[in-house]
Amino acid sequence: MTATADLKEFIAAYLVEAEEHLAVANSQLLLVERAQRDGETNPRAVRETFRSLHTIKGLSAMVGVEPVVAIAHRMENFLRDSDRSGGALPQSAIDALLAGVHAIEQRVAALSRGDDAAAPSEELLASLDSLGLAPVITPPPTAVLDLEPAMLAKLAPFEVDQLVRGIAKGQRALRAEFSPSPERAAQGLTINSVRERMAKVAEIVRVLPRAVPVTEAAPGGLCFVLILLSLASDEVIASAVGLASTSLQSIVRSRAELPPELALDAMDGLSALIVTRFRLARAIASLTERGVNTREVSEIMTDNARQLRDLRAAIVRVRMVPVSELLERIPLLVRGLQRATNRAVRLELEGGRAELDKSVSERLFPVLVHLVRNAVDHAIETPDERVRRGKPEEGLLRIVCGSHSNARLEITVSDDGRGIDRSAVSRKAGRAVPSDDAGLLDLLCIPGLSTREIVTTTSGRGMGMEIVKRTIVEELGGELEVHSQFGQGTTFTLRVPLTISIVDAFSFECGEQRFVVPVAMVDEIIEVDPDALVHVPANDDGSPAVDIISRRGVAVPMLQLAEIFRLKASRNGASKAIVVRRAGAPVAFAVDRMLGQQEVVIRPINDVLVRAPGVSGATDLGDGRPTLVLDLVALSASLNGGANLLPRA
Amino acid sequence: MTEILVVDDSKVMRDMIVACLRAIPDTSFTHASSGLEAIERLSLASFDALVLDLNMPDIGGVEVLEFVRAQDTLRALPVLIVTTRGDEQSRDRVMRAGATSFLAKPFTPDAIIAEVRAILADRAEFVA
Repeated sequence: MTATADLKEFIAAYLVEAEEHLAVANSQLLLVERAQRDGETNPRAVRETFRSLHTIKGLSAMVGVEPVVAIAHRMENFLRDSDRSGGALPQSAIDALLAGVHAIEQRVAALSRGDDAAAPSEELLASLDSLGLAPVITPPPTAVLDLEPAMLAKLAPFEVDQLVRGIAKGQRALRAEFSPSPERAAQGLTINSVRERMAKVAEIVRVLPRAVPVTEAAPGGLCFVLILLSLASDEVIASAVGLASTSLQSIVRSRAELPPELALDAMDGLSALIVTRFRLARAIASLTERGVNTREVSEIMTDNARQLRDLRAAIVRVRMVPVSELLERIPLLVRGLQRATNRAVRLELEGGRAELDKSVSERLFPVLVHLVRNAVDHAIETPDERVRRGKPEEGLLRIVCGSHSNARLEITVSDDGRGIDRSAVSRKAGRAVPSDDAGLLDLLCIPGLSTREIVTTTSGRGMGMEIVKRTIVEELGGELEVHSQFGQGTTFTLRVPLTISIVDAFSFECGEQRFVVPVAMVDEIIEVDPDALVHVPANDDGSPAVDIISRRGVAVPMLQLAEIFRLKASRNGASKAIVVRRAGAPVAFAVDRMLGQQEVVIRPINDVLVRAPGVSGATDLGDGRPTLVLDLVALSASLNGGANLLPRA
Repeated sequence: MTEILVVDDSKVMRDMIVACLRAIPDTSFTHASSGLEAIERLSLASFDALVLDLNMPDIGGVEVLEFVRAQDTLRALPVLIVTTRGDEQSRDRVMRAGATSFLAKPFTPDAIIAEVRAILADRAEFVA
């Protein structure tokens, strides 16, 4: 039999670990103190301090360091009681605990030098014995959390509180699931590594094991549920951790009484109904052509159209949330940021009464958070600096939401801070200094630029401008603009559709092809008078030929859609033009003829081979053939790289 | 070969436990630095006994124990709880949660060897 182990041999390893735990205890106590000064509590930090002292006590007992056992034991007892009563500590207790940690540090240092650990003074032990607790804190409400009761029951009151506060501050509360397997372990994916990576992109509130049926995905019959708070998007979290983004799910209870997924099902059902209606309308039209009397059927169709519109409005209403809901979480966020960054910020919010689709709102919120963080953390100067620059001590952050048209919401986020230094940004990006705001935005949206440049406590994580652009422009089909004056401030303007997926659209024909364009995007449809056109020949640079038409005395550039898409030009030349506005300026697209106006279901085109600038999706007009949905605003932008379409004189 | 899973967030403590238990012949040890890791390892491999600390981050020993006892495959796994909290109340709570045995820290090498031998012997009887 092997000789009995001598635990005294572990003293060196003990001292190393004790120092680690002392460092944790010190930093956690400082967090407790900071919370106490802010009139808040930090129960998690109290629990972490407790755990450190508890471990120190256990280890010290094993290697026989009695003086440390005596001190740690008293601190541990008090911290256990504090943990149970919600983590509120009076300042006197925090001071005594810091003194206790210091006393242990002295003894660990003495042992490291090879000296003995001195017995603690009676005074220290007495002060630790007589610590008083702060009043008990009542547990927070849990109604906002969408978790099954068994899961909710396992959360400590302080963890529920952490979640509720996080949500109020604008963080997303999520659950992520991870099922361990031998293959994942071989790839380095274990609960410890998942936890460690997750901690970099999210605040981990709790991790709970859950037994699940044994499947291929969960060969151990086990699934870990990580309860999180984060500002990052599902995709960012999932890719940082190495999980599928489908393993993430929001746990914030929705305000709508109808569960959102049910509203989505209803929307899908409605989409199918609308397509069926198109087919019916076509069938009736061909009957009419053959001389059949379809008057009665046509009247029924009119009723049917109205009913479908009402149904659609009802479903959309369920999915609509007021814009004010999007904004109500901003003040808390700004307050927290001010404290963290030592800025003084006056926040002005103008929400209006617009409502927008919940799915749009959910995508928009992280973008707003990002812009607000950037403004407070980077744009607005410290009060001293502002005074030196002759600005009011308090910076101004203004967020204004308003309906841009009946289908678009415009949000501006402006600050009166230092503005964007174009030359610094261009240096960082390794590109030429941008000549205008559009060029500046392109630089800001270079992947990795903004996040790499600026790493601070509040903006170090989360998303960069490129994700803002991706969300607004690509996901939502909206517009993003920046206007910045160095030294004066920056304004970001976002325009997004209020709803997605079903829109009112004009259908038209061009080069023997059918297209649709959302009504909301169209400024006007005008007649084209061939005699009043001024033709401008195409440039060598490949940009298309431009005609100039006069609209109420104003020159408007007109592009031939048939030429852009290389379609057969029509015999009689274009008769109509669709006018859209890009960044406020009108642009016309010549088309052969308008067909009508109808509601269409936009299906995204996910095939990268088919995806093209200016094409926002596909729809079915009832003939079973896909019809392209055009985004003429984006199309005009893609044609000339942001330069003015009007030829220079 | 007897496989023992030693669970404690303190590496020194795990090393000390393993140093003591090496005296038991034909035994190998696997470390787990958290309750979560312990549950993960138990779901993917089989062990003959579990030596479990109580006070750990995320989920403590009692929660690990409750989870283990709720699984059909782990219901009979011998579990020795090793804890700094040696009072009667803690012992009662842990035994009610399904611990096979309970040992207070600080312990001597002989004490933990005796406990582990005893829970392994119980299991042998159970299996037979």
